[in-house]
Amino acid sequence: MNKLGTVIAFTMRNKMRSKSFVITTLILMILVLVGGNIPYLIDKLGGGDKVSSVSYVQGQYPDIIAGVQQYYAKQPEAKVKLEQGAASEADLKQQLEDGAINGYLTFADDAVSGFPRAVYHSKDAFGSGTSESLTAALQAVKTDQIVKDYGLSDEQMQKLLMPVSLSTEKVSTTNEAGKTENELGTAIGLTYVIVILLFMSVMISGQLIATEITAEKSSRVMEIIVTSVSPLVQMFGKVIGTFIAAVVQIALIVGTMVVSLNMPQNKSALSGFGIRLDTIDPAILVYAILFFLTGFFLYAMLFAAVGSIVSRTEDLGQAVLPITMLTLAGFYIAMFGLTHPDSTLIVVCSYIPFFAPFLMILRIGLSEPGMWEAALSLGILIVAILVLGWLSAKIYRTGVLMYGKRPSIKELVKAMKAYKV
Amino acid sequence: MNPLKVERIVKQYSDKTAVNELSFEVSEGEIYGLLGANGAGKTTTMRMILGLILPDQGDIRYFGDPYSKEQLSMLGYLPEERGMYPKIKVSDQILYLAQLRGMSRKDADASLRKWLDRFQVPEYYDKKVEELSKGNQQKIQFIAAIVHKPRIVIMDEAFSGLDPVNVELLKSTVKELRDGGTSIVFSTHRMEHVEELCRNITIMHKSVPVLQGPLRDIKKRFPQERVMLAAEHSIAGLESVPGVGSVAQHEYGYEIKVREPEAAQAVLQHALAQGPVRRFELMEPTLNEIFIKTVGVHNE
Repeated sequence: MNKLGTVIAFTMRNKMRSKSFVITTLILMILVLVGGNIPYLIDKLGGGDKVSSVSYVQGQYPDIIAGVQQYYAKQPEAKVKLEQGAASEADLKQQLEDGAINGYLTFADDAVSGFPRAVYHSKDAFGSGTSESLTAALQAVKTDQIVKDYGLSDEQMQKLLMPVSLSTEKVSTTNEAGKTENELGTAIGLTYVIVILLFMSVMISGQLIATEITAEKSSRVMEIIVTSVSPLVQMFGKVIGTFIAAVVQIALIVGTMVVSLNMPQNKSALSGFGIRLDTIDPAILVYAILFFLTGFFLYAMLFAAVGSIVSRTEDLGQAVLPITMLTLAGFYIAMFGLTHPDSTLIVVCSYIPFFAPFLMILRIGLSEPGMWEAALSLGILIVAILVLGWLSAKIYRTGVLMYGKRPSIKELVKAMKAYKV
Repeated sequence: MNPLKVERIVKQYSDKTAVNELSFEVSEGEIYGLLGANGAGKTTTMRMILGLILPDQGDIRYFGDPYSKEQLSMLGYLPEERGMYPKIKVSDQILYLAQLRGMSRKDADASLRKWLDRFQVPEYYDKKVEELSKGNQQKIQFIAAIVHKPRIVIMDEAFSGLDPVNVELLKSTVKELRDGGTSIVFSTHRMEHVEELCRNITIMHKSVPVLQGPLRDIKKRFPQERVMLAAEHSIAGLESVPGVGSVAQHEYGYEIKVREPEAAQAVLQHALAQGPVRRFELMEPTLNEIFIKTVGVHNE
């Protein structure tokens, strides 16, 4: 319909031209860009690659020092370089003071364990990776010594030191192959992102829609608009226009995210978390879009209805509180569900229209609900949207002409009966 | 077929009647005056004509047809409390409103430019509404009401808040619209505007139409009971002429209230007996007087 197009275009144009929209989008893009690169940045700035030079007192446990030296010699990128050693601890302190070394080792006898207690002296108490590296080296030396005492061969030793392998695999009842650990990590990450995006866009756009309607009402533009175009067209035009603006915003942010995740330096960081983008199931994306759409429209309509009841923007915050609570509840149930996707609570709530957009996508991402379950949830959502859309349009039509104090529910119902939408 | 016919409309709010049994008709090229004190039900009536609210009883016909969404495009509305989008450019919002009323963007643009030129403010095309002065916002609001060439225009307090020059400008525009065949329903508290513009009027008081009809007939119905008298010298004993109510002396002469028109002649003879009379006039009642009389009487 022509007028619907006019309302959509007007809403969209004004939204995307507004300074706040441009600035918010830019800030979010920058945040995503920085956030996506944080693991890499920490790695670069945190000094993880620096080699610390460590010294020791000559003559103390020379066999252990030799062992440690051998250990680091075998390492391809040793983080610790063992220096020549000094005659006394006082000399070492002096070297530390001059900055010639990062720290030094001393040993004290320990009768119980049969291996001396080592102390690493350095200026900063929490010496990043150095002390961990030294612990590993000393552990290796100790193991070496003990094993040698028992006369094991190198081959036997290697077998002994071989780590146990345990990996998990999700069993699927519908698909041929279950999800591997990588795929599961990716699914959790993706679900998390989808739920947060839905939550954010519902909150931001919903508030915007409500504020705008209240502003139109308090500036009395509403009286002219309601006499020009039917309230249903007006409301849906506004919701769709805002939706398109929100989608553009999200597309920009997600685009930044994808680009930053695909930068070469981030690939290894991601796989460290078990996230691999190429394992994303396209079906999840289709469901995500469906539930995003339905969720957005469901909440947008509620916000529009509430916005039309209030006459002043100051009163809006209080009036939208119940809807805010609903979105918050949906969001937090979903956060809980990330670790318990099959609990009864999640399953039940995934059929309640206000929570379904958050929870069904979560279940689809993390467990294996049947096709009919997703369809049923979607169906309930669509019915809810139609019912609420009709009701909201009625409230809207009634509310936009009610000024003064916030009308009671009884007054609203009475007034609503008088209007045909 | 008259463009607008209102028949016995009633609007009831929860505990009070806002409009009771109001009927009137507006013909093509006519400005109809809807008068009344604050809270008399004028705005409610206008909202019913616009279809913003529905009458509880009665019927409103537009060119003989009942209310429908299609009628919206031929209605224009200038609300009493002005409303525009403060942060949006004049051209953007006027074109939007015109498009909503079924005009193409191109036609709307041409019409808007024509009106901006007519009001001598073409430079406002690209300005935001919040940057304009209140009077100029009024002009823009006025343009918003008529940009789509409506056949029926509702104007609530059309000229409030404007300086005399701009009042004249808008008044001549309203007359132009009338001469172009537009039907206008017009409400104001400035009675001299009504006398200048309206052929027929309704005076409402506390939701009831108390006085209705052609302005000329209404005036005839009210007795001519005011006499203006001026002479070369002062005239004594005017109060004692039979039928005289009160006498007020102004710089320009005497203003005498008479109880019936015949007493005026007695006043003239009384004055002539004392010397030559420079001015004698039996005044038509002003709408202002009629209004105060009507509303005042019903107030008691």
